[in-house]
Amino acid sequence: MNWSEFERVFNDCELDGSKIIIKSKLHEVIKFVTDNYTYNVLKEIIANDIGGGETELIYHLYSVDDEEDLFISINVAGEAESIVDIFKSALPDENEIYDLFGIKFIGHEDLKRLYMPEDWKGFPLRKDYVQDDTRLAWNDDNNA
Amino acid sequence: MTTTTLKLNLGPQHPSTHGVLRLLLELKGEKILSCEPDIGYLHRGMEKMAEKMTYLQYLPTVDRIDYLAGFFYSELLCRIVEKAMEVELPDKVRAIRVMLLELNRIASHLLWVGAFLMDLGAVSPFFYVFREREMILRFFEKLTGQRMMYNYFVFGGVRRDIDFLDGVEEIISILPKKIDDYEKIITENPIFLRRTVGKGILEPEIAFNYAITGVNLRASGVDYDYRNSDDLYRGFDFRTVVLEEKDSWARYKARISEMRECVNIVGQALDYLKRAGVLEQRLINPLNLKLPAGDYYSEIEAPRGLACCYVRSDGGEKPYRLKWRTGSYYSVNLLRKLLVGEYLNDAVAIAGSLDIILPEVDK
Repeated sequence: MNWSEFERVFNDCELDGSKIIIKSKLHEVIKFVTDNYTYNVLKEIIANDIGGGETELIYHLYSVDDEEDLFISINVAGEAESIVDIFKSALPDENEIYDLFGIKFIGHEDLKRLYMPEDWKGFPLRKDYVQDDTRLAWNDDNNA
Repeated sequence: MTTTTLKLNLGPQHPSTHGVLRLLLELKGEKILSCEPDIGYLHRGMEKMAEKMTYLQYLPTVDRIDYLAGFFYSELLCRIVEKAMEVELPDKVRAIRVMLLELNRIASHLLWVGAFLMDLGAVSPFFYVFREREMILRFFEKLTGQRMMYNYFVFGGVRRDIDFLDGVEEIISILPKKIDDYEKIITENPIFLRRTVGKGILEPEIAFNYAITGVNLRASGVDYDYRNSDDLYRGFDFRTVVLEEKDSWARYKARISEMRECVNIVGQALDYLKRAGVLEQRLINPLNLKLPAGDYYSEIEAPRGLACCYVRSDGGEKPYRLKWRTGSYYSVNLLRKLLVGEYLNDAVAIAGSLDIILPEVDK
């Protein structure tokens, strides 16, 4: 991909190895790279709890024609833009991140508990997650 | 005229799913109007577990992500550590790993052929494929002590040298004839053709949008196989099987043809191993193993599509974050699209043709 062209359109970004770090306009950026380059597969979305209430989302795009990977990273706090309208494969990925990190994706119609039971408290992959749910076996002593 | 629709739960228990999957179908007559998969019945928290364990403690658990192709997930985690510690694999280790991965792929595809035919109502192929799969599992058991959860790959190499190869020789001499036999029974069978030809057509654009990889993508006419750019397979000569038909039948045929290619790759690895001397490898000391801080990423062509492992290390003994990407996870999502407009009696056949393994979906 053409980095200088990208930088001209979105000036609020930086390049770190093969990863583009953006600050905002997630949906616009993804739309831009899919429309202007050959990236046609969203391999996965990775979420990282980086502390301070912020979560890093890494979008792994791939171009089948050019055999090229692209990572786009953004830090969000509690909310992010959904890209389901661009990539249908983001549907389960965003749902998973909601389930495990509690990030709400604006525009995602069907955010629900995926792996965890519907009445589960908290988001297990967050670093501040406390395993004090009374239903968990190892908390029996605390509740006695 | 009536316009009522029927909501039908397909699952969570169904003989054709390897694990538990519930499909919430909305039907009008026998036509499917919408499909909503419900997953999570087998969630074991593999990613959360990783944050609580050292790399050595975590290694034996990763086989369980996909119990039909355990070697692939061990390989992904080993590859992360090898990348981080900058260890180059000796040729003999590469040959052993490739041979085991491809045998594992054959075993996985064989099971799929049996399960898929059972979905369509043919019971006997299931017993035929288990007969051949047994030969492979016997060899794995002799080598690793385990039939499914091998824990054989270690950081920087393999757990022990292979000093017997007669089991593999038997497998690759018998298997092509057996695959011919399956094809005689199945490939041109009129009942099989009626259930699969033109059913569940997956256009390449849709496959890209739903992030479908692996055999399902290649059966839609896209030449994408991660093995071609994989350093592990350097020096191996094989053909990527690409079919243009895009339907359930193509996905069947692609897996059958891929098994023949796997036999070919196993044969090449076997030739090398026969000539190779004693195993010399530089293992990474797994005790007090700390990966340098940073992000690591590894990918592999698993039987059910591209599998990836992502690790963020903060320099400590345990991963800060570890994430798996599995092929089946996206195949389940594809059912939302692929089943719409099809008849209910084809739903199981189409879902079966995608080769979905639920432990891999739920992680």
